[in-house]
Amino acid sequence: MKKFLNDPANFVDEMLEGIYLAHPAVTYVGDDKRCLVTAKVKPGKVGIATGGGSGHLPLFLGYVGDGMLDGAAVGGVFQSPSAEQIYQVTKHIDQGAGVLYIYGNYSGDIINFEMAGELAAFDDIAVKHVVGNDDVASSIVGEEHKRRGVAGIFFIYKSAGAAAAEGLSLDEVTRIADKARSRTRTMGVALSSCVVPEIGHATFSIGEDEMEIGMGIHGEPGISRKKLAPADAVIDELMERIFAEQDYKKHDEVAVLVNGLGGTPMEELYILFRRVSQLLQRRNVTVKYVWIGEFATSMEMAGASISILHLDNELDRLVAAPARTPFFQHVAG
Amino acid sequence: MSDRTFTSADLIDLFQSWKQLFAEQREFLIALDGQVGDSDLGITMSKAFAAAADALATEGEAAGIAKLLRTAGTTMARAAPSTMGTLTATGFLRASKAIDGKDRLETADMAAFWRAFRDGVAERGKAKVGDKTLLDVLDPIATTLEASGSATLPDALKAAADAARDALEQTKSMVAQHGKAAAFQQKTLGLQDAGATVGYLVIRRMADFVLGRL
Repeated sequence: MKKFLNDPANFVDEMLEGIYLAHPAVTYVGDDKRCLVTAKVKPGKVGIATGGGSGHLPLFLGYVGDGMLDGAAVGGVFQSPSAEQIYQVTKHIDQGAGVLYIYGNYSGDIINFEMAGELAAFDDIAVKHVVGNDDVASSIVGEEHKRRGVAGIFFIYKSAGAAAAEGLSLDEVTRIADKARSRTRTMGVALSSCVVPEIGHATFSIGEDEMEIGMGIHGEPGISRKKLAPADAVIDELMERIFAEQDYKKHDEVAVLVNGLGGTPMEELYILFRRVSQLLQRRNVTVKYVWIGEFATSMEMAGASISILHLDNELDRLVAAPARTPFFQHVAG
Repeated sequence: MSDRTFTSADLIDLFQSWKQLFAEQREFLIALDGQVGDSDLGITMSKAFAAAADALATEGEAAGIAKLLRTAGTTMARAAPSTMGTLTATGFLRASKAIDGKDRLETADMAAFWRAFRDGVAERGKAKVGDKTLLDVLDPIATTLEASGSATLPDALKAAADAARDALEQTKSMVAQHGKAAAFQQKTLGLQDAGATVGYLVIRRMADFVLGRL
């Protein structure tokens, strides 16, 4: 292990101290650094909370800000935050219009977000849940409810966040979040392992010349492990699975997210996007929005994922809306 | 205990008794869970019941049964944010809703308490009966109490605890389908489920406590 650390046990809390020093637009509540909220809650707006394990920056806390989310409960590395932490965030960001929870499909997160919703209900706070499950590789068609949530949650945040900023109701924001969820698909590929600081060694081993298609962002087993292929061939395989999922017609529009898992250079991400763009062009599908960079990482794992949001008029309007958070800025137009 | 019913003062004392029970059973549960889980069950349960018992004692009987159960649930969720801690917390929160407005619990109220507890754990944990979990013990507790009709509370709870004991024994012949133990599959055969053991300990102590108060 080669990491910048003091005591591995303080990894999350020292990271958070840095976040608060660097970004005065976010703060914390409940006397607990892991209950991160926006510094300026907007009166009357539907609140949006997320949360999950650490080790994925910019996920999850990085998207708390204008036009996106209002709070994030921060867990240990790859561990769910507690229901109490989620509840503290909820209480703070509720402005009487209710709170939407957006989180990934992992059993620990589900149990704690559901518990937090139950605690909030005792305070008469209306809570809805939308659970990201964009990872095509983690289960077959027909069993989408078993799929993990990965980088595609970004599109749910963006759509729901813009809807809440427009002043829509909790039911409407939830409907839109769920629509973005149902129209987002992600495929990923890993080239190397991550190292959890308190464990100190690689989570799994993979050969120098190997890749694993469909590996999860905590090192969950993927679909297949094989010899690393040329970049275009890797994208062909990933995109084939995404195309098989959604009925794309000529002139349909999409938003594309090319996400680095933490250990892959930007240059390589652009090489990957080049091929994604070619394949979409061949189908006469228009790439309306593109984001390339790190959005949902897995510590130092090398690899990438491609997320595609199949737009409609409503999602187009919401994705286009401005946003400003510590890790993401988007100017309308 | 007057009129063979269960009051908020009884609930506070019962939580003290549960606290003591799980302090005593801590090492046993750690060892049991360590065979196919991550050994934290004994720690989780002793922490959860200790925190809840202290919170109830502080709040006092005037709060009423429903409010005390709600405090127990929220306190447990805070003190023991693991799966089993959260499931137990959910059970008490749902029980709180089920008996809201009651000053004292009779047999039918206790049936509603455990029905809500059972359904809350099932919903939150997403396990089914037969998956070798806590639910395998909660299910017969609820159904036994519901079938108790005009039985006195001590008799009904004793029958429920006996049904729970038999159900716990039956978990030995099940293969874990849920939670961390599911990864061990066949290795779980022959072992009694750790979560179900907690469920049995809880109902047995409740039955003994109510019997002892008569």
